[in-house]
Amino acid sequence: MQVSAMHFKRKATESLRNAKLQKALEKLQSKFVDGRAAAIAELPNFNDIRDAAAEIRARAIENLDQYLLRFEEEATARGATVHWAENGDDVNRVVADIAAQHGARRIVKSKSMVSEECGLNDFLESRGLDVLETDLGEYILQLAHEPPSHIVAPVVHKSKEEISDLFVEKHRRARTTQITEMCREAREVLRPGFLSADMGISGANFIVAETGSVLIVTNEGNGRLATTLPRVHVAITGIEKVVPTLEDVSTLLRLLPRSATGQSITNYVSVLTGTRGKDESDGPEHFHIVLLDNGRSSLLGTELQPMLRCIRCGACMNHCPVYQNIGGHAYGWVYPGPMGSVLTPTFVGLENALDLPNASTFCGECAAVCPVKIPLPDLMRQLRNKQTERGLRPWQERVALRLWSWMAQRPGIYALYARLAARALSWAGGRKKRLHRIPGASGWTKGRDMPAPAGRTFRDLYRSRRSS
Amino acid sequence: MRVGLFVTCLVDLMRPGIGFAALRLLEAAGCEVVVPATQTCCGQPGYNSGDRQAARALALKTLKEFDGCDYLVAPSGSCAGMIRVHYPTLFMDDPTVLESFQRLSERTYELTDFLVNVARLENVPGSFSGSLTYHDSCAGLRELGVQAQPRALLAKMPGVRLSEMRESTTCCGFGGTFSVKFGDISAAMADKKCEHAAQAGTDVIVGGDLGCLLNIEGRLRRRGDEKTRVLHIAEVLAGDG
Amino acid sequence: MSARENILGRIARARGSSAVDVDGVIRRHQRGPIPPLEDNLVKRFGEQATRLASDVERVATLTEAPGVVARYLAGRDLPRRGVCWPNLAPFDWGAAGVEVEARAARGDDLVGITGAFLGIAETGTLMLLSGATTPASVSLLPETHIAVIGAECIVATLEQAWDRLRAERGALPRAVNFISGPSRTADIEQTVTLGAHGPYRVLIIVVG
Repeated sequence: MQVSAMHFKRKATESLRNAKLQKALEKLQSKFVDGRAAAIAELPNFNDIRDAAAEIRARAIENLDQYLLRFEEEATARGATVHWAENGDDVNRVVADIAAQHGARRIVKSKSMVSEECGLNDFLESRGLDVLETDLGEYILQLAHEPPSHIVAPVVHKSKEEISDLFVEKHRRARTTQITEMCREAREVLRPGFLSADMGISGANFIVAETGSVLIVTNEGNGRLATTLPRVHVAITGIEKVVPTLEDVSTLLRLLPRSATGQSITNYVSVLTGTRGKDESDGPEHFHIVLLDNGRSSLLGTELQPMLRCIRCGACMNHCPVYQNIGGHAYGWVYPGPMGSVLTPTFVGLENALDLPNASTFCGECAAVCPVKIPLPDLMRQLRNKQTERGLRPWQERVALRLWSWMAQRPGIYALYARLAARALSWAGGRKKRLHRIPGASGWTKGRDMPAPAGRTFRDLYRSRRSS
Repeated sequence: MRVGLFVTCLVDLMRPGIGFAALRLLEAAGCEVVVPATQTCCGQPGYNSGDRQAARALALKTLKEFDGCDYLVAPSGSCAGMIRVHYPTLFMDDPTVLESFQRLSERTYELTDFLVNVARLENVPGSFSGSLTYHDSCAGLRELGVQAQPRALLAKMPGVRLSEMRESTTCCGFGGTFSVKFGDISAAMADKKCEHAAQAGTDVIVGGDLGCLLNIEGRLRRRGDEKTRVLHIAEVLAGDG
Repeated sequence: MSARENILGRIARARGSSAVDVDGVIRRHQRGPIPPLEDNLVKRFGEQATRLASDVERVATLTEAPGVVARYLAGRDLPRRGVCWPNLAPFDWGAAGVEVEARAARGDDLVGITGAFLGIAETGTLMLLSGATTPASVSLLPETHIAVIGAECIVATLEQAWDRLRAERGALPRAVNFISGPSRTADIEQTVTLGAHGPYRVLIIVVG
């Protein structure tokens, strides 16, 4: 997917002014935030489960290659072919080659964020292949030629009226804004695609080393259809998704749906191992699994390693007050919100996403709700440190911070500055005791006043009270 | 108990009354209060902006300044959090210094947490009367577990009617330099906070961090709200309200 | 150097000398913390399945199943005609007025009748294993999915299900499908709508 993270500020401002988007974002609170809270309240030992989930993910990451090798061994023994890809281009080539190898022209896709990293759909279409997104949200995006704005609810930014308009334009059927009817319409339009597809492409929520299995969670049934009907199934996933055992995945499954959508379990959980059996009437004859690095391994052994624990639940962005106000598109790539603020700089380059780790108040809500205890604010702070080390911060900012810390280490000079500043601000505040403009801080004063101080510092007042 | 009051740079410059209110409360709780004269800033601006060196320098300075105190108390969850939670992380490479910071950390408290759990203040000197709503500042809440403490203290004031607002724990949008760097997002977050506070049906908003309070008050006034007062919890508890 | 070698090489270098006994970890099948569940698993299963919008009926013997199916379909004005797994064919469907064919489902089949390997009480979930005589299409393509499950097949948790599967089958089948109700989507305005690409409704008949 094209990177536009460098336009974060402008896009964030546009999002704030987009009334339709603002209305759509209101749903995040009731559906996702309240939903999650209710779902985890049902688990009396939630904290223990969360601790265990974080442990499981951390241990898997610590010995990533060992588990990946076991996964490859088991999957291969069951008839799957495991491919390794360094980057998105590799993935695209491998998938196109698989399609060519099996004479596959019509492809159905079940949701895969990794495929967005690679720009897979565009690549396959440029090779003359027919790619149909089947997850309702992704299908809508495909019709609208838009990228997803959330990793779990990709069209959270669209109203049903907008979707209805899109359907009328593309399906040429009678207009309806009844959600059940729109879903029925999508089912009828997409069903023939499933039945006639040569190849199904999916992501993987987890891959299990013990059995060489790919695990997919869905609600719609498109994931099952895409991986059962076509004769070829290609599953694409990041290398960090490996989990040692079925027991491990069971613990993670207690938290993933609850954290993501407030469900106790997703409608379908499919554990797929190997190819169609001898006498079976469904299932793929050929099963290809593509393991993508794309910068993930560069996090190993660094302070950012905990980011690899991520199970892509979306809780962090659902609860992030910044995301709640600006939505996902402003983040400019596949992964928005707090997790995106760490992953995007990692995958597309620190210098291409400078604003992302800075656009946070470090309120800490993301870390509080992360089911695998990723210390997201600490990771964003690490990225800010890296930006400073690499000289990527604007010189005005560096100078201001240097000046502040220089003064703060010299109490005499600091006291003088504070005395002058208090007086100046108080004077500038005038009778109404507030400032409408502060030089150098227009970011504040564009939308707010600044209450003016009384005019004397605590330091001075305390000293004079003490001496009197 | 010899308590060192960490005034905070914002209180020192913008609202000294909060410092005096904190002082009054600590003395009412029977503490001997000292105010180390050379204190300036806890170092959070540099720390959060990627300048670890500056943060380390200010941490060492603070450590020395509060050496003679049994406790370090700050009328700010953000500064107390910086000292208690983050200072030690700056010295993981130096075991001896780290030990000193761990001891400082154990002695560092946000004001209301200290009053309730250490000093056990029984009688709150304040005489505030009326309804108010409480904004839970992020660092205090999530780094230090400050939530019940201010409410417990307010409950000791017979004239106070606490009306909880929706999403009292949602960030107000201050975030230090965030409020200047990402001003529109910050103002939008402040807007939501103002709306939720208004829906609580009171015209007094109280909180434990001056940064949040300046942010909220600034947004209120720009929205044309001249009526709603924004007070620090210390000001309410110590009679200034 | 292939991509595989490059990737594994990078990971191994980052890992350094620390290593884990993969065999040991896997063999241990270490379970995580399990939430407490009530003793009456069938009751829990029924409640959770109902919560997730399945219809649940209890019968004493398998012979009653065709009658339940007939009434269910008639009550909803649905055609009394469908496909089923071969092991369910021998029942007296004819007497109940339901026409069944024992085969995999095609795109135009409207009712699919399956059994289930296990039920998971914790979440009201059906566990179906793919196989020559248990085609996955029957629970997936039709608009109505009917599952017949013995009460003794209801276990408490996923962990218990894996143990049973390992004990009875050894290896995993090609597909283990966990089904927790009718297909659904909330992609349009976060409004949950039942009936997306899979079945619109699920009837679970618990026997015994």
